[in-house]
Amino acid sequence: MKSAFVKSAAASVLLLVLVVGGVVLSSSVFFVDEAEQALVLQFGKPVGEAITTPGIHFKTPFIQEVRRYDKRLIAWDGAPNQIPTRGREFISIDTMARWKIVDALQFVKSVRDESGAQTRLDDIIDSVVRDKISSTELTEIVRSKDWEVTEEDLKRANVMAPENDSSALTSEIKVGRNTLTKAILNEASKDMPELYGIELVDVRIKRLNYIPSVREQVFQRMISERQRVAAQFRSEGQGEASSIMGDTSRQLSEIRSEAKRKAEVIRGEADAEATRIYNEAYSEDPEFYALLRTLESYPITLGKQTELLISSESEYFKVLRNLTP
Amino acid sequence: MNEQIEFPQIDPNAIKRGLKYAFFFIVVLIALGGVQSTFFSVGPEEKAVVQRFGKVIAVKEPGLHFKFPLGIDTATMVPTERVLKEEFGFRTTVAAQRSKFIKTPDMLNESLMLSGDLNVIDVEWVVQFKVNDPVKYLFQVRDTRDTIRDISESVMRRIVGNRLGSEVLTVGRVAIADSTLQEMRQILTSYNMGISIERIELQDVTPPEEVKSAFNEVNEARQQRERLVNEAEKNRNQIIPRARGEADQIVAESEAYRAERTNLARGEAARFTSLLSAYRESPEVTRRRLYIETMEEVLPDIGKITILEESGTSPIPLLNLRTSENKGGAQ
Repeated sequence: MKSAFVKSAAASVLLLVLVVGGVVLSSSVFFVDEAEQALVLQFGKPVGEAITTPGIHFKTPFIQEVRRYDKRLIAWDGAPNQIPTRGREFISIDTMARWKIVDALQFVKSVRDESGAQTRLDDIIDSVVRDKISSTELTEIVRSKDWEVTEEDLKRANVMAPENDSSALTSEIKVGRNTLTKAILNEASKDMPELYGIELVDVRIKRLNYIPSVREQVFQRMISERQRVAAQFRSEGQGEASSIMGDTSRQLSEIRSEAKRKAEVIRGEADAEATRIYNEAYSEDPEFYALLRTLESYPITLGKQTELLISSESEYFKVLRNLTP
Repeated sequence: MNEQIEFPQIDPNAIKRGLKYAFFFIVVLIALGGVQSTFFSVGPEEKAVVQRFGKVIAVKEPGLHFKFPLGIDTATMVPTERVLKEEFGFRTTVAAQRSKFIKTPDMLNESLMLSGDLNVIDVEWVVQFKVNDPVKYLFQVRDTRDTIRDISESVMRRIVGNRLGSEVLTVGRVAIADSTLQEMRQILTSYNMGISIERIELQDVTPPEEVKSAFNEVNEARQQRERLVNEAEKNRNQIIPRARGEADQIVAESEAYRAERTNLARGEAARFTSLLSAYRESPEVTRRRLYIETMEEVLPDIGKITILEESGTSPIPLLNLRTSENKGGAQ
């Protein structure tokens, strides 16, 4: 009975030691994930540098606690802003940014946590974007530095410039989207690591559009521009068809008159040739020709309509007369 | 003042038994959990990233693998072989032979953008990508999907904003997809996010709904232009060859005339020449023969012949041949 009591007491003590040991151990060991960095805080005050290597780490149990922060690139997505450009067009602009915590100690001191950081980023990026956008022409925001459009491009693409002033489309871009976003990034990320323990890695314009009321006008402009292009197509079609028809009748009279000319030449040559042949033959004995030809022509020239008065002295009837007794 | 605290009487054996059962139960649970979390299998399209106490220790290929249980090792599957995609401006709701798509106002905001000539265009596109480094994919960027989407929207808008609207709508599609791909690759490489962009495919690229009819009008006008030109050309193609044929005919006819005319002349000349040579043999006889032959031929057809007596003072018909026939003929 007594030994059983001792045994169970020993077991209880062992259990107690195990439990206490486990609690102490679990309070002094912590793991840092590959995606994280950690700060050890003692009574709320950071102890030492941030732990950035993943794996198993130790701390003083009970009095120290661990705060974890992301080591990865974190998204910042601003709310769409309505900002007037330098040319007073109101546009809605939506920016995005990516940032990461590079100095957890500074981070926790200055902005406490991620939501604090996001709010700070809202303030900073929004104000820089507002400054930059409102001092830049819309075309400089939309287009990039390598924008190169020539008059021929416009013609080929059937683009009609507003008020037929194509310089708005062909003029060189001085700033451009890339340079603008780079300037925004530089301006916004200035002093950020020192002040907030944050590195602003990237800022970009995600979306850019007209505000709804302006959009209506733009649609109207687009419609009228397209209608002008359509009208141009139609008149081009008519013009081209007319020119083809004109060309057709030109070709037609060319072909016809050319054929007639050739035919006349050939006929002339034929007549000349025939004349030459006749001349050559008949000039052998013009008198005989005259006789022959005259005789040949009698059957043609004399006929039923003819009344012929012939002297009885004539060659043919002479014989007849002389036969009379 | 002695107060005895009364403990309830518990049988020590019962406690012992209870502890024993509990201990046994816990051991079995732990053993089961341990066995279960010691094995993991990696599918053919995935790779597994194994972490020990949070630190990456291995990337496992497809197959069955072991790890330490009880949260010492953890394995995360990353689909590295699968081509993943993000859609912009629309969503596929049913992917099948006849896929179904939807487009909400929210998605319209993704796809409406400004072209370089400050017109509004609705560009829908798809980004296809693969995870090529599962460790980077998991531990370099937190909001991977959002990052791909944000970058893609930003790049697409820059590229479209650097071109003329009508170019984007027509000939620029391939170039736009290509430039977007290059630029996205460059940016995502700088983010070191373990993703490779495979393709960018432009889907519907259209003018906004409000101005579509005006764009259609342009297309109609263009077709009308083509039709007018085609008709004129058709007309020309009908007329000109026919005229050419007719022209050839005129020339051929004149050539026929030439042949006929010269042949006739040659024939007549030859006839004359042979007649002449015969005539020269005895001119007097031939001359008379020809004369008489002609008379023979001519006189029967003559309407009225009056032979005059040379010695008489007035023309008195000596013979009036075929008077009656002449009357009939004069009718």
